[in-house]
Amino acid sequence: MARTWKRWLPAAVVPAVIAGGALIGTVQAGAATELPDKTPQQLLELLAGSDVRTLSGTLEQTSALGLPQLPTDGPDQSGMSGAAAALDLLTGSHTARVYLDGKEQARVQVLDRLAERDIIRNGRDVWFYSSKQNEAVHMTLPERSGAKEHDKYDGEYTPERLASHFLEAVEPGTEVTVAEDVRVAGRDAYQLVLDPDSAETLVDSVSLAVDAETGLPLSVEVQARGQEEPAFELAFTELSLEAPDAGLFDFTPPAGATVTEHAVPDRSGRHADRGERQGPDAAQRDARHHDAKHRDGKVEKTGEGWDTVVELSATSLPEGWAESPAMAQALRKVDGGQLLSTALVNVLLTDDGRVFAGSVTVERLQAAAEGR
Amino acid sequence: MSSKQQAVRARPSAGWALLGSELSVLFRRWRTWAMLAALAAIPVLIALAVRLSSRDPGPGQGPPFLDRVTQNGLFIALTATVVSIPLFLPLTISVVAGDAIAGEANLGTLRYLLAAPAGRIRLLAVKYAAAVAFCITAALTVVTAGMLIGVALFPVGPVTLLSGDTISVGESVLRLLLIAGYVSLSLAGLAAIGLFISTLTEVPVGAMAATAVLAVVAQILGALPQLDWLHPWLFTHHWVGFADLLRQPISWDAFAANALLQGGYIALFCTLAYGRFASKDVLS
Repeated sequence: MARTWKRWLPAAVVPAVIAGGALIGTVQAGAATELPDKTPQQLLELLAGSDVRTLSGTLEQTSALGLPQLPTDGPDQSGMSGAAAALDLLTGSHTARVYLDGKEQARVQVLDRLAERDIIRNGRDVWFYSSKQNEAVHMTLPERSGAKEHDKYDGEYTPERLASHFLEAVEPGTEVTVAEDVRVAGRDAYQLVLDPDSAETLVDSVSLAVDAETGLPLSVEVQARGQEEPAFELAFTELSLEAPDAGLFDFTPPAGATVTEHAVPDRSGRHADRGERQGPDAAQRDARHHDAKHRDGKVEKTGEGWDTVVELSATSLPEGWAESPAMAQALRKVDGGQLLSTALVNVLLTDDGRVFAGSVTVERLQAAAEGR
Repeated sequence: MSSKQQAVRARPSAGWALLGSELSVLFRRWRTWAMLAALAAIPVLIALAVRLSSRDPGPGQGPPFLDRVTQNGLFIALTATVVSIPLFLPLTISVVAGDAIAGEANLGTLRYLLAAPAGRIRLLAVKYAAAVAFCITAALTVVTAGMLIGVALFPVGPVTLLSGDTISVGESVLRLLLIAGYVSLSLAGLAAIGLFISTLTEVPVGAMAATAVLAVVAQILGALPQLDWLHPWLFTHHWVGFADLLRQPISWDAFAANALLQGGYIALFCTLAYGRFASKDVLS
């Protein structure tokens, strides 16, 4: 009898070892590290002084915005419209690889299932390539506005951009604290927490992991009110600060691909685009960028800081976006119009065709719509 | 007990001899060849369908990579791999792995095998090694048949990767072989599950069906977003991850994660199979 029992022993040991390994893995991932203390001010300086110009790394993005989840394994995603693609970026999880070399060379690869989307910048040439459609879009940047364009096209997926956006919002209405140190992508990091004082914003807190050595932001996490899991999370899972292989930035569209030459948007178009980019929703902004559409449209702001409400004219949105099935599913009827509600952003489409958006409660949007 | 003593006394080469005879039995069965022929037929059918149809598949239509086939025949191998991964490959592995022990028991040859100086652990190891050999053969069959029919029917040239970069024909053949290796690894976990189920019964068809059903069920569970906490633990989770080998630079993350996952499944189900097989009374 004892013999029989012994023969099952290995089968019992293996799951125990696996469970132990998984446990150690999670404990190590969440392990706190000890770094010399810094005040928020010092940490912001470290962040601002970051001069990392070469890196290659892997970014992991997850969102839990409370939008209906679209099946990601569906047989056909090819006909995905702009709106659906935007929703996909908002709801799904994504992995991207980022390569940076100086200000002029960058490559971002969004790794999809059996597909990939690439944005490559090499000097003044910007390429966008989608493997699913096998199409490439090319843009040549104007020479003079190099710095601005860098700001716009570079590192769309790095925490650096997202961080600077939130730091703009640091003002009297926000409590800035330093939380306990963390490890991100195998590096020791400080954690900066922004806590909005306003009661009307949907953002509960924003935490930013700042690399202790270089000041590079390693992760961004946005918590929404009344939700346990982070509404938006973007973090490096792998990071190396060495210069990537130069050949990576050398892109020639493959034979057989559809190549489109895209004119660089003029100034007014860029201005409107900037306006639309208000609100801390980077993923949405990214989706717009992905479409590479630049529209004219008037933008008006009401409120300040976290309570900002943006009014867009309906013409600034892609035509028929509210009618697409994915949108129809997400929209909900409220007083005075239809509401697209997510954990971080509310969008109100009034019955008279105006659009109000902001990281605020529905009531605040309705008040703005009724004439502020 | 006696078998154990015999196993200790047996010559070390006995295991290799047993493996050799097992492999020759496996690859001399007409059933094995029929399954390999069916697998080879998948790329051939796809290639003929694309070749004979007047209309080229548009971008993003049909199974992945199908729209590239008319420009480059090597993509047939990729399309065929994507198409056969969910069902055809697991089905053939289920047949071989499910038959391993239950088949011998059903034929009444299991006790003779054990009476020979083999030992139960060694027999189990040999059976599993043969099943893994079949996994490798099956994956290679799909990929090489795809490459050959692609070369025969379509132009062949530098291959466009998912990242939009282009690599030479030589390197793409290398990457296709890597993909065959990835697929074999994915199937090795299923083979271990099949081996365990095979020790539970004396009806080989039951073991084969149960293994194939498990593979399908795991994939269905993997497609439900509500169960995303479970997904990393499903043995099918990384099955289509071979796409990472088609990026520039190659991403080895999926390969490593898959190896870890399959290794866990192999360890668990091989030890379970040992627990069951070593403690059961072999009567047939």
